[in-house]
Amino acid sequence: MNLLLVSKLARSARGINTIANYVGAADALGHRVAVFGEREAGFPDLPFSLDPSDFDFAVFVVYMPSDFPDLPYLAELLDGVPKSRRVIIDCTGRYNDTIRVEHDFNHLEKMDGHQSWEWIEAFQSIADRILQPTPSPRREDVGSFLFHGYDPRAEMHPFRSASEAARHWSSSDRKYGAAYVGHNWQRWTQIRRFVEAAATVSPPLGNSALVGWDWQRRPDWAVQLGIKGCDVDPELLDRLGVERLEPIPYAEVRGFLGNARFSPVVHRPLFNRLGLVTNRTFETFLADTLPLVMLPQEMAESIYGPDALPLVPGEDIAGRLTAIIRDPEPYWDAVLRVRAHLASQHSYEQRLSELVALLQR
Amino acid sequence: MNILFAMERRLDAGSIHALANYARAGRKFGHRIALYGNPDPGYPEVPFSTDLAGADFVVFIFESRLDWVPGLHLAYLLTRTPRSRRAIVDADGMYNPLLLDEDYDRNHGSERDQRRWLAAYGALADRIFQPSLRPQQPGVSPLPFYGYDPRGVIAGGVGKRVDIMHLGHNWWRWRELGGRLLPALERVRDRFGDICFVGLWWDGPPAWAAQMGLEDAFRSDPDRLRALGVRILPAVPYRDVVATMSAAHINIMTQRPLFRRLRLLTSKYFEVFQADTIPLVMLEHEHAAEVYGPAGRELVLCDDIAGKLRDVASRPWAYREYAAAVREHLAAHHSYERRVEELVGSLAGDLPAARTG
Repeated sequence: MNLLLVSKLARSARGINTIANYVGAADALGHRVAVFGEREAGFPDLPFSLDPSDFDFAVFVVYMPSDFPDLPYLAELLDGVPKSRRVIIDCTGRYNDTIRVEHDFNHLEKMDGHQSWEWIEAFQSIADRILQPTPSPRREDVGSFLFHGYDPRAEMHPFRSASEAARHWSSSDRKYGAAYVGHNWQRWTQIRRFVEAAATVSPPLGNSALVGWDWQRRPDWAVQLGIKGCDVDPELLDRLGVERLEPIPYAEVRGFLGNARFSPVVHRPLFNRLGLVTNRTFETFLADTLPLVMLPQEMAESIYGPDALPLVPGEDIAGRLTAIIRDPEPYWDAVLRVRAHLASQHSYEQRLSELVALLQR
Repeated sequence: MNILFAMERRLDAGSIHALANYARAGRKFGHRIALYGNPDPGYPEVPFSTDLAGADFVVFIFESRLDWVPGLHLAYLLTRTPRSRRAIVDADGMYNPLLLDEDYDRNHGSERDQRRWLAAYGALADRIFQPSLRPQQPGVSPLPFYGYDPRGVIAGGVGKRVDIMHLGHNWWRWRELGGRLLPALERVRDRFGDICFVGLWWDGPPAWAAQMGLEDAFRSDPDRLRALGVRILPAVPYRDVVATMSAAHINIMTQRPLFRRLRLLTSKYFEVFQADTIPLVMLEHEHAAEVYGPAGRELVLCDDIAGKLRDVASRPWAYREYAAAVREHLAAHHSYERRVEELVGSLAGDLPAARTG
């Protein structure tokens, strides 16, 4: 099957890693995946096309309004591909009534000017089929499709046993005690809990690092618009010795996380409520780091399998970090079991096959 | 007829004032004319609607930017309105070959940009209008589009704080102002008191100009303006344009070179005559007469600009009479009621768009 993915690409945000993996998985499975648009120098390994007639389906991967192409491209796409051959993957739950969780929203009229009905009408105008990367979409007219996946070949250090992994982990010098790669958008509440807890661990973990946009300070536009989604406390981070670094390209994420002993897996509050998964849900397990899964237990279990539970700290983050440092092997055992689960249940080959099957229905 | 306009909303630029007038004049004839979008309290005179099912036509107004239509709206507009019920008003002459005027003003940054615009128009609609009496491209229909609101004329007697005003943004205007108008003003400076330029970018380009390769479009010389005693005042919202102009004895209307070459009409052509002022227009004589009637020739600043300004200062009453004659012409031939008729007629396909009288 030939699939044309339609999305605004960025080297350090949104679905780029997943999209790149679909291209690779398609090659392996005899399908063809390309990105709609003119060739972009920043993505030399991705195939691009402006000719929708070469493809069986146009798959819109939507995070934000700019994921819809500008003129003339959207018009040409809508003219060139019938509605029955268009599908939307709604990565952030836009296709719902407005939902607020803490200060996280699925519609941000203050930022992009779009009200709830606009998202819903636009999605219904574009495609007959709308999919969301959650096991349990809220609307009856939405299908479940997790979209993101796991590439076992990309594991930075494919250990053969938990003891080997634990030895390697305990003995290797690492620049950071903990690191998180992701932008400061609706994540501060959870990251704050993590860094505060990590600072109390004895013996000390060492410095931490946050990599992404807006960890330095709350941006001016957020202050002006009264948006609390990128709150941050620079003084606290300074006091705790947390470095803040600029975003890195998607291909460097796994390598960077290997500089840290721990890396938290966190989702936006909205995503936890809707059960939405992200690229990082899976990608963190590829890195040579110990993922601490700060997700609701039920969700962690449904994605990672029951063996993930030792990696879910619940409320006692410091206690779990301390326990892992004292005796890492059982936790690395959990990591390796989760990796095996992800490889067998969530590989990109499986994901792409699921998508093809959904589209053939 | 129910007409929905889709356009970029800008409080101090573009076509928003015309939209408010279309809505008002349309009501007289039983037409419903609105701007596509959610209600916006920033534009109290403009009715908004998102009812595409009830719209007979969607008319896109494009100025200098192609990417103002948000993707969500575009998807909705394109899928809910058949192509046969869409039209485009090409306000800035983008539907033309790449035009480079006097090695300065241009409609597109490159041939590639031009192709993208043409492809966008081609994908959106069959019917393209330009606010010109004589578009240069086959397939483009003339539609003056902008008009005159006799009810909006500010009566005489407004106190004058300014002698000469230029109201408009510094967008491809510096060469004409710096090369022609300012030298003339320098020669007659002693004859006039306060002179001010109202609008954006006279005191420097926006921060993003260089990044977009548009330094030339915003070029200016604030030191020279200061030396000449020209005050720079901030832009005003569309609803205050006529009242602001009315604070000056004389208003000078200029156009960027490309618009002059294409003879594109704008809101300012008419607003300057709604103001209580002596309007002087930097246009060619023939074009001024075509739009404004015979008296329009007398209000042209073209060859001897300094001499004309001296003459206006000496015989203001004569120029007020020319302006009054033009106002009569505009009321008869360029009212928004007439513009609405032209638009409705041309959309319905039973009326030539341009009837300029």
